[in-house]
Amino acid sequence: MSIKEEVLDLICQTLDVKKEEIKEGQKLYDSLGVDSTEMVELVVSLNKKFDIKLETNEVTKFSTPEEIVSTVENKKSS
Amino acid sequence: MKERVAITGLGVVSPCGLKKETFWAHLKRADSFIDEITRFDASLYPSRIAGQVHELDHYTHLSGRLIKKIDVFSHMALVSSEQALQDSKIDLEKVDKNRIGVFMGNALGGWLFAETELRDMYIEGREGISPYMASAWFPAAPQGQVTIYYGFKGYSKTVVADKASSALALWYASKIIAQGKNDFVLAGGMEAPITPYALLCANTNGNLSKNNLNPKKAYRPYDLYRDGFVLGEGSGMVVLEKESQAKKRGSHIYGFIKGVGFSSDGYHYSRYRPDSSNLDYAIDSCIKDAGWSKKDIDYICLDGEATVLGDYLETKALKDVFGKSIKDISLSAPKSMFGNFLGAQTALDLVATVLSMKNDTVLPTINYEVSDPYCDLDYTPNKAISREINKALILARGRGGINVALAVEKG
Repeated sequence: MSIKEEVLDLICQTLDVKKEEIKEGQKLYDSLGVDSTEMVELVVSLNKKFDIKLETNEVTKFSTPEEIVSTVENKKSS
Repeated sequence: MKERVAITGLGVVSPCGLKKETFWAHLKRADSFIDEITRFDASLYPSRIAGQVHELDHYTHLSGRLIKKIDVFSHMALVSSEQALQDSKIDLEKVDKNRIGVFMGNALGGWLFAETELRDMYIEGREGISPYMASAWFPAAPQGQVTIYYGFKGYSKTVVADKASSALALWYASKIIAQGKNDFVLAGGMEAPITPYALLCANTNGNLSKNNLNPKKAYRPYDLYRDGFVLGEGSGMVVLEKESQAKKRGSHIYGFIKGVGFSSDGYHYSRYRPDSSNLDYAIDSCIKDAGWSKKDIDYICLDGEATVLGDYLETKALKDVFGKSIKDISLSAPKSMFGNFLGAQTALDLVATVLSMKNDTVLPTINYEVSDPYCDLDYTPNKAISREINKALILARGRGGINVALAVEKG
């Protein structure tokens, strides 16, 4: 499974949403109405899943799925 | 003459039904819904029986995304609020949400959520705790969730006063309606004490029945062999509005909140004043506040703590206030069937009382088998009876003596 697929699965699982609700190119806030508390949970889940150390200001509710995937990939390779 | 505060919607989440129709049908049959606790291993607790809600997920209208962020006591409050709002037939698209408030009573907070998260925090460190913990556990959380869910922005409040919490919330709510500060108030309470820590605290308090071998016989108010109350969990909610507005909307009016009496024992942090004088005062002042005379009252929904002293003092207070005429008033503690909901108990008692008025029926006190010479009134033992109820009182007492009496009139 690619990192993109893993991130999208994690967003679905953490936020309890369906994959089709996540829109490419749209901020999570616009597509899913994600709030800042949900983002804290998502960041913690991403850190656990990929064994990285993202801060809550590195991916926010105004990030798109692609931006989150790219941030995770960069963290993993650094 | 001041305008009456009308009850126009009912919602209930309880061990004996998650709709008012099933709640009523089960109560009328005098069934007990007390059982061994199955949610977690409670085998080492002195009292390990309760009235539990098992089917909340089948009746919920909430998304999984919301449910995972809230404690079960908020979930129960949201379900009973939805029922009450639907029952009152308020068109939420057409009313001013700035003038709809929420008044709730709760004693303990949301421990099922909190306990799990605190355990994870101590095991995994600060990243082990859910970010929703901050908004999930505290007693006012359900009020916040309900106001957010519906966008209600009117004056709202949560009252914490042990077993008198929802009685006081209903009182404040009715005053707010009477004063014209809100057009509607969703009022009641919720409690979810069937969790490892909350049950431990309630056990430590020492007033719970330990009749674990015979759960359905355990909660026996006024019976000679009573040994304490049994916990229950759930939520009761009513919609309140001015009588004139309810009539203009063509709403069904179940009843009216007519008055309240309140007093504190000012005696001890956990014990009642041994002469019942403050409970007497609460009952007496409630009748005056309602503008009634004592002989007007048909029914009293009792506190029914089922402790030796609690039931004796309640009986004494009734005799003190009503004298010989107490024999003409029907008395009962329907909560003997589903458990004591602590901060939500009066909300459930109110729903049961207005349904009793609607059906001309006095619900029973179950498990009353052996009379106690110190509790020698007619508590409507074991079987519902037919009687027209036009005026009723509901009694509630919090630990250490927070005494509340609520006056309710048939709609």
